[in-house]
Amino acid sequence: MERVNGLRSLLASQDLTFLAGVPYVYHCHHYNLFHDQTIDDALGEELGTTVRTRAAQNAARELLQAIAARLGAETPIEIIQLAQDLFAWMGHGTLKIDVDATGGRAEGSYLHYGYSWTEKYGARVRRAHPADAFAAGFAAAATELGWKLPPGSMAAVEQKCLVLRDAGCAFELRPGSPVAAPRLVDEAAFASHVAPSFGGLEEETISAIADGLRGFLRGVRGDERGLVQAFSVFVTAHLSNYYSETIYEAVHQLEKTQPGSASVAESLFREAGQVCVFNTFGNILLSPEWEGMVGAPTGDPMNTLAGCCAIARGLGFGHWTLHAFSPKELVLRASSNYEAPFYLSRYGKSDKARCYIFQGAALAMMVLATKVKWTEHPKLTQEFYISLFRGKIPWKVRQTQCQTRGDAIAEVTVSLG
Amino acid sequence: MAQGFLEDAVRGVPSIRAVFITAMPDCLLYEAWVRDETDWVIEDVASYFGDLVRANRHGLKALGSWSSEMQTTIESADTLVVLKEITSDFVCGCVFERSAPLGMVRLQLKRLLDRIIANLPSVQTEERPRAARIVDFLDRYAPDPHAVLLRVALRTGIPLESLRAAEGLSIEETARLEESACRLLGLKQLNL
Repeated sequence: MERVNGLRSLLASQDLTFLAGVPYVYHCHHYNLFHDQTIDDALGEELGTTVRTRAAQNAARELLQAIAARLGAETPIEIIQLAQDLFAWMGHGTLKIDVDATGGRAEGSYLHYGYSWTEKYGARVRRAHPADAFAAGFAAAATELGWKLPPGSMAAVEQKCLVLRDAGCAFELRPGSPVAAPRLVDEAAFASHVAPSFGGLEEETISAIADGLRGFLRGVRGDERGLVQAFSVFVTAHLSNYYSETIYEAVHQLEKTQPGSASVAESLFREAGQVCVFNTFGNILLSPEWEGMVGAPTGDPMNTLAGCCAIARGLGFGHWTLHAFSPKELVLRASSNYEAPFYLSRYGKSDKARCYIFQGAALAMMVLATKVKWTEHPKLTQEFYISLFRGKIPWKVRQTQCQTRGDAIAEVTVSLG
Repeated sequence: MAQGFLEDAVRGVPSIRAVFITAMPDCLLYEAWVRDETDWVIEDVASYFGDLVRANRHGLKALGSWSSEMQTTIESADTLVVLKEITSDFVCGCVFERSAPLGMVRLQLKRLLDRIIANLPSVQTEERPRAARIVDFLDRYAPDPHAVLLRVALRTGIPLESLRAAEGLSIEETARLEESACRLLGLKQLNL
């Protein structure tokens, strides 16, 4: 898979990352599980699984098509092999696809979602529906491309899953109903929806750390299980179009059918941003790799905030800058993020701000900067998360500018009460 | 309640580490005594002990072998815990040193429980509305307790403010809440 590493690209000065021109970011299992859970909470398990599988199929098809074209994979066997290798390289686990043009089966082991759900929640609750919609959609997309089938002509259903206490995961692939391909949201589309880049406080420091982190991540790939275990979490290189399509489809559905519930879903997507910053950003700040690259966190709020902005950039979340900070207020500005370009490309302008992850992340950054004693090397446990975030946050977050609403940039303000 | 009655009740019981009294059926802490400083969240411990006794009661009834005299003994690495439903309204959880001989513990336990029962009120505990108890249960057992009310609000369409004052929910809303709680916890029914 070394050839895939050579297909990474960076949109200059925007800190957006692409694989063969398809946007990708890094997210940990805490975020991924919370994200998928919120989709199911919003739509119910059945429709939620359908929406997640379709989004995975759309995003994976875009990626596999672009990579196969660049690497010259043409035959079914070449494309299926590429898909399996890529899936593991991205940290999603091991997927064995055994199909022909009429469908077939796929088997998964150590699948990121099911495996990490079992690790995190398995001893606590019993689950009644499978967890690996991303793998299902990925296998369906690989089958379609391998046999030159139109989008939607293959459907995948997870029939066995680790979270259901099965020994492994198994998928059935069968003919589906072809649909029009959704509008491509690639590097060119992203480039057309970002503002000219600008700097903020601690700009040089943030920029240098982000470069270093990107360099480190170039060496990150799935292990023999197809998992990436780093910074005390399971990490995935993931398709941001998967996240965005699922979030916006869920929110739009609620806005149409249960408008009173849309704001609740938005709160949970913001919370997903908090979960991401607390677990991924926090564990990166506490990691030996960070200490070697940047130095141990000092506990000074500006040190933490600069570190968090650098991590966001390094993970491909966009060009996040620190515009202003005091213990009473934090303002983040971004010329780009991965949420607004997708929304504008797929749906056009919105009448309200739509960058939920950016909003939740900003609130969490304020909490991490002012409430956590970094020099004491705290353990970032669920209990600690609850002690920090549950009903005790004096700040509120508002997105004061959003590109989906026609503003030039994205801006979030975290302020008291 | 006689203030500090547990302090008197444990006198002369050298191997006792803690006593928790849980008011049933809501599994709320009624009174506790802990010998040494610990980082235990005593409200949580009391609730879990109450749930455990209730689950045990259901299990034994399913086997047809429940009696009101039953007690549960748990031998963990560093403690010996005895749980007993001392009246229909209260469960008592006694935590002993692990090194204490079981025979001695049983002897001391009887004396201890007699003293505790003598100090408990005889009035019937008022049962809280089922919806409030479901929310408490979710708070204790849901996978992401920090987000559980938002999750339930999203799944049921019940406004967040109403869930925060769950005792005011209607019968129909309570049924939706309960169904949602079962799904979140992967349970067929809630034994509250």
